[in-house]
Amino acid sequence: MDLQEFINNFAEQFDDIDASTLAANTNFKDLEEWNSLVALSVIAMIDEEYDVTVKGDDIRKSTTIEELFNTVKERM
Amino acid sequence: MSFLTVKNVSIKGVVSCVPPFVEENISLPFYKDGEAEEVIRSTGIERRHVVKNGITASDLCFKAGSELIKQLGWEKESIDGICYVTQSPDYINHPTGFVLHEKMELSDDCMVLDLFHGCPGWVVGMSAIASVMSSGALKRVLLFVGDSTTPWGYANDRESRPLFGDCGTATALEFNEMAAPIHFHIGTKSSDGWALVRKEGALRNPYTRESFEKEIRLREGTLELEGNADTMDGMSVFSFGITVPPKSMKKLCEYANVNIMSVDKVVIHQANLFMVEKIVKKLKIDPNKAPISLKEYGNVTNASIPLTICSQCHNEYSSGKVSTLVCGFGTGLSWGSAYFETDKIICPDVIIYDEK
Repeated sequence: MDLQEFINNFAEQFDDIDASTLAANTNFKDLEEWNSLVALSVIAMIDEEYDVTVKGDDIRKSTTIEELFNTVKERM
Repeated sequence: MSFLTVKNVSIKGVVSCVPPFVEENISLPFYKDGEAEEVIRSTGIERRHVVKNGITASDLCFKAGSELIKQLGWEKESIDGICYVTQSPDYINHPTGFVLHEKMELSDDCMVLDLFHGCPGWVVGMSAIASVMSSGALKRVLLFVGDSTTPWGYANDRESRPLFGDCGTATALEFNEMAAPIHFHIGTKSSDGWALVRKEGALRNPYTRESFEKEIRLREGTLELEGNADTMDGMSVFSFGITVPPKSMKKLCEYANVNIMSVDKVVIHQANLFMVEKIVKKLKIDPNKAPISLKEYGNVTNASIPLTICSQCHNEYSSGKVSTLVCGFGTGLSWGSAYFETDKIICPDVIIYDEK
């Protein structure tokens, strides 16, 4: 499982964010475009792309994209 | 148990009734410019029928049941069982099935069974009462399933208020040795169920003077919800909804030896459009087979499957043979899938409640 690919998949869940503006250490919940619908899209993306189920708590406990990536990786 | 097959029971009809009052999501007071449009786009819900003036789900079910037996031509004395599934009872200490039994003027020789259940309630309720019928002990049963949860909602709950509507339904089941079997798959993940629990007001956490005052003010909207006080953990329910129900439906088809591609209708609990679309995609079925009633009615919890059948497919169900795969999920967390076949059942378009 590749971190950069995860970041690209993550960026695709936003209407209008260029993946190049996101990094492993981006605090994603601080992004202006972050909202509950994007959160649901991220959950669905992780389910589709990685066949891993993440819950609300997993999103809440993660600050950076890399932390969420690690949660997904542990469950694969 | 997990899988269950019930023989000798056929579905004879289904009627759904909604209250006359309509709440438009575009007019909800708490959205800033453009937000309401965004919520409508993602949830697929434009408006919802909601109860007012003390009308409850049992009133809606009574209308639905009366219309159903009228169209079936069933004598009241011939009904030997009713089952009422709700999580919004009329009274604290009296099963609402008895209220329905009295209002419907049913006979003393009639079993009344109340089940406390939410979104999977139509499927789980049918599995329970149809199992009792299967031996021939009950010949004609009305399965009432409905909820009127909106009076419990909080006026400023941005997450839940645009989603939920109220509805009552009645489904007629008849003992018939020639009936095609009904197959069920039912499961439970209770440790994840807290995402949907209203914790205060019953016996575990009785209201205090302070919490009762707060509750009333939250309902009327004179108190703002604090930060994380939304009444459900939407993200966790969503991740459950897009993973478990499609697996359950696929497993049930395997068990029942049914090709999901040849099923006529796949009726999925109408949680919200985003969720239903994800499930349809995972099942890889033609989206035209999966009717959606969210636009006019929202999420009506346990009544959403029969309401979707009545509102979107009444012509097909009332004119010919239909094979149906359904899945209700949520409350519990739990889920129930069912596969059944019907032939020209009583299935009118949705009826609107009036006081008369």
